[in-house]
Amino acid sequence: MSEQAEPRHMRERELSELLEGPPVLVGSPEDRKLNEDIFRPVWEQTRRGWLALFGITMGLTGLLFSAIAYTFAKGIGAWGNNIPVAWAYDIINFVWWIGIGHAGTLISAILLLFQQKWRTSINRMAEAMTLFAVIQALLFPMIHLGRPWFFFWLFPYPSALGTWPNFKSPLLWDVFAVSTYFTVSLLFWYVGLLPDLAALRDTSKSKAARVAYGIFALGWRGSARAWRHYRIAYLLLAGLATPLVLSVHTIVSFDFAVSQLPGWHTTIFPPYFVAGAIFSGFAMVLTLMIPARKVFGFKHVITQRHLDNMAKVMLATGLMVSYGYLTETFIAWYSGNPFESFVFFNTRARGPYAPIYWLMITCNVVVPQVLWWRKARENTIFLWVVSILVNVGMWTERFVIIVTSLHRDFLPSSWAMYRPTIVDWSILVGTIGFFGFLFLLFLRFVPSVAASEVKELRRELEHEKHAQSHERSAHGS
Amino acid sequence: MATSWVLAEYGDEAALCAAARRLRALGHRSLDAYSPIPLHEVDEALGLRRSPVPLIALLGGVSGAAGGYLMQWWMNAVDFPINVANRGFHSPPTNIPITFETGVLLASLSIVIGLIALAGLPRLHHPVFEVEGFRTASVDALWLSAEVKREDEEAVAREMEKCGALQVSRVPEGSR
Repeated sequence: MSEQAEPRHMRERELSELLEGPPVLVGSPEDRKLNEDIFRPVWEQTRRGWLALFGITMGLTGLLFSAIAYTFAKGIGAWGNNIPVAWAYDIINFVWWIGIGHAGTLISAILLLFQQKWRTSINRMAEAMTLFAVIQALLFPMIHLGRPWFFFWLFPYPSALGTWPNFKSPLLWDVFAVSTYFTVSLLFWYVGLLPDLAALRDTSKSKAARVAYGIFALGWRGSARAWRHYRIAYLLLAGLATPLVLSVHTIVSFDFAVSQLPGWHTTIFPPYFVAGAIFSGFAMVLTLMIPARKVFGFKHVITQRHLDNMAKVMLATGLMVSYGYLTETFIAWYSGNPFESFVFFNTRARGPYAPIYWLMITCNVVVPQVLWWRKARENTIFLWVVSILVNVGMWTERFVIIVTSLHRDFLPSSWAMYRPTIVDWSILVGTIGFFGFLFLLFLRFVPSVAASEVKELRRELEHEKHAQSHERSAHGS
Repeated sequence: MATSWVLAEYGDEAALCAAARRLRALGHRSLDAYSPIPLHEVDEALGLRRSPVPLIALLGGVSGAAGGYLMQWWMNAVDFPINVANRGFHSPPTNIPITFETGVLLASLSIVIGLIALAGLPRLHHPVFEVEGFRTASVDALWLSAEVKREDEEAVAREMEKCGALQVSRVPEGSR
């Protein structure tokens, strides 16, 4: 580049940053360089920090499975839930984790169909997060069964009992929705991984790595005959995953909305649950991505632009969630139903669990409002703290929905308080550890940014630039 | 019949497509191109037809949804009628969610199984992997391959070079 061209180039860059925000890809790294950068965490020596975190999360995973083993041995009585609060941490955690698992597919599928360029380079990590969050979620329905070793009774199989499941129950819809969601997310993630697994196989230095990645790559050669099917298959999977992701939390909300309990029996639940799921999912993506991009030096691939856009999505979905709170409260008053009003104006806001309710309002309604300011979105540490508060807020939301509605039964004689036991806490903390454990394994063994897709993005951006400069020169002459 | 694989690396997509067109014009049909990202012009240069994956997806989706609906109807209304609050045994509205889920599930499974089968995978060993330089095909290089009769090997390799190949390699079948 000549010295004279430099200032003009800089000016253009500043102008485009002002108009469109920071770039989705800093510079235009060559394919080989991109591969080296993105694969470095896989090929480099194990880091001490990684090992330390791995040890901690492995310990928490141990805690999780010990608590589950204890529950199986002792029965559900090991937990704090009892009549009237028959659902508690098991379903709170299930809904929380499955909600977190919504951002991955949203980023990968919906943003792909809308051709959002900022989707590339964050989709892989978000999809992995989805898978691991759904694994945590899947644990809960299984372990909360009184006799978990009969979990397969949930599925329609020709059993000796001669009966079939009741398909009119939303709980059974949930079984199908969540297991379909997990399967489709896994397939989508794996298909997206194939080209990168092949690249890992081809850049590996050791025979063991070559064989291992070679097996997972299925012998992918990047042949035009295969790409032809691949392109359309990937798009179709995205097209299918889009309504699927909306259906999953809708069906989860039916578990509540179809019952007649005050505070659950409302029509706002499906959209409000979906918005909340996306809200918490983006929060979790930010919580994981902000440290990961710093540690692995991905700042030129996962740029400020990505963080900024995710913060904006968080703000938008946070507002939708706030609107949900507002609507259900309004309807409680407007319906004139004494039980419904009692839940919203007495139990939740002023009852014994009021501090949790107000924590929810603070984290989900008040805190996200700071994201209106560009300065707040640009400060990564600040954004990270906000994302954690949103995660906490969404957990308390599920607590408020489930526990406050149940603990004040229709008859005051049936009222009771719910207190989680140490086993409840161990399982919650344990799933966070298990989630982190799986995520750390992913960061170490799989490229956490989709190298092949970033290469495609680079070409697209270059084409755009060419087209723009052609336009400019045509105008000039 | 003894065949041979001839492989050539090209510097850009235009050169690759030009070479593919030239070889096709000479009557070679067993051609393939390799790239780290999907290329768009290559399909036409190689004369590839549209992918049948959408049709497979449609068939999978329709049979999944139909199967899901029929399953619910037969199990809850015919084989073991369950009376839930005196609603009909065959209750279309409550069948919608599972019908949708099984449709999506089967469509996705057929897409992925279809993709793997159509792409000829899994195939861990392939003649193109015999060429050490071919490792770059998944990183940053574009390669063209032709499967030809042993006696045409020489001529095809020369033709590929003439079209601007950066390097040409030959893999006789059965040389492993």
